[in-house]
Amino acid sequence: MILWKHELRMNKKVLLFWSFGVGIICFGCLLLFESLADTIAQMAGFYASLGMFAKAFGMDRLNIGTVEGFYATEIAMVFSIGGAMFAAQIGASLLAKEEEGHTGEFLHTLPFTRTAVVGWKYLAMLAMLLVFQMICMLWELAGMALIGGMPNLKSYVWYHAAQILLQFEVGSICFLISAISRKKQLGGVFSLAVFLYLADMLCRVIPGIEWLKYVTPYYFSNAADIFTKGKPDAVLAAVCCAVTVLTGIGALVVYKRRDLAS
Amino acid sequence: MEYAVDINHLTKFYGKHRGIKDISLQVEKGDIFGFLGPNGAGKSTTIRSMLGFLRYQEGSIRLLGMDASTQHRDLMRRVGYMPSEPFFYPDMKVKDVISFAAGAQGKDCKKMSHRMCEMFEVEQEKRIRELSLGNRKKVSIVCAMQHEPELLILDEPTSGLDPLMQDAFFHLLLEYKEKGTTCFLSSHVLSEVKRYCQNAAIIREGELIRVDSVENLSRSRVRRVRVWKNGKEEHFSWYQSAQELIHKLEEEKVDDVLIEEPSLDELFSAYYEKGTEK
Repeated sequence: MILWKHELRMNKKVLLFWSFGVGIICFGCLLLFESLADTIAQMAGFYASLGMFAKAFGMDRLNIGTVEGFYATEIAMVFSIGGAMFAAQIGASLLAKEEEGHTGEFLHTLPFTRTAVVGWKYLAMLAMLLVFQMICMLWELAGMALIGGMPNLKSYVWYHAAQILLQFEVGSICFLISAISRKKQLGGVFSLAVFLYLADMLCRVIPGIEWLKYVTPYYFSNAADIFTKGKPDAVLAAVCCAVTVLTGIGALVVYKRRDLAS
Repeated sequence: MEYAVDINHLTKFYGKHRGIKDISLQVEKGDIFGFLGPNGAGKSTTIRSMLGFLRYQEGSIRLLGMDASTQHRDLMRRVGYMPSEPFFYPDMKVKDVISFAAGAQGKDCKKMSHRMCEMFEVEQEKRIRELSLGNRKKVSIVCAMQHEPELLILDEPTSGLDPLMQDAFFHLLLEYKEKGTTCFLSSHVLSEVKRYCQNAAIIREGELIRVDSVENLSRSRVRRVRVWKNGKEEHFSWYQSAQELIHKLEEEKVDDVLIEEPSLDELFSAYYEKGTEK
């Protein structure tokens, strides 16, 4: 528990930076919707007719001129990418930072087993992602309260539940990378977060690569899909959970077996 | 007999590269044991294997009767470690680092840490990033010793400390020894090894070349020999018998000779040199 608290304390600034950063952008976009509502409504038809482009962003299924449509196609995109990047940064740094900053020697000569180090750090990552989610939701709800509009509440909750799983998966994959690597691979993990987003868009518009939907967690947590269908795809959500658990276990196995740098 | 440190046939390779090979040594409880060797000899590999950082290929390490690789958590409650160059979390305050280490030990170490902070003039309100190596070293002493461990593993503990602090450190170390603490001391400072250690091991190129009492190690028959021949001076270390040396000098027809007992530094340098007999 002391290690869990220690990690939260150490990452407090990063957590606040990302959650307030992403939250305020979402809040600002919602306020922007209010002032541009008429213009957006006029352009909604044009966006919907953009074919593949509209399909990739979900504008063929939702009206961007409504709060729900605007939230699902614009704000959710910001939140998804921002959340995944935050998860990637936290996941990639938790274990590797000890060797990169030469603090591993101090940490590992305290009475913690490697299993405890990996376990508490992993739980700290999950806790930070939940706090990130809550702070961003508060900013979004504040924005919605100010403009006096709200997407379907049930879909909104399902969307954020799916986003939690997405962030857990991205964080967990990056946590495995962190267990393997002796340096924080931030460039690589940010690229991974963006690549998975691109994979979602590509598999929606390019025939023959639909299988990518099993690879990218953005597919099942796509806001446009959730707001049109009411909830995320259960099979793809289960795949996401399985990847999260397997990469978490993988991180433990790798970290327990390898030599640690000072 | 249960040893404080019991290493048997320890072998660690980094891929194809040599780490340490077939190291065996025992340290009795209550001893201050010196661990000597030139840079790259395998001292750190041995210490890092003892502390569970490295997964070794062969051999076994038992510290205080416990298996170092499988009983890490319980062992680290009874062991204190001080690295040669300590690093802590740069944004943390000194007092938070000390309190985190004490918390991890699950012990109330306030009394001891307070005493040590006063003794070493540790500035507790400062952040780690503001500290010099010497001041980080003082924090490391507190973290390693505040829980009053039964075994101390110290890697060049006095490097970076000023002479006053070095004295204070050894004063504290002897106090711990009085209470029964064992100390495994890796050092390059031979005078402190001779002054404080009862026994020592010398490691070179990954292999132990000698384990003996410091008294015996210092009383070696190694001699520094200077010879003059045809106006030229040569010097070398001699490890064999006096008879053989006389024979060699006769054969080489030297003009003059000076045979000296080596200084402590020279003595250990001779152990470090390649080609020295094991």
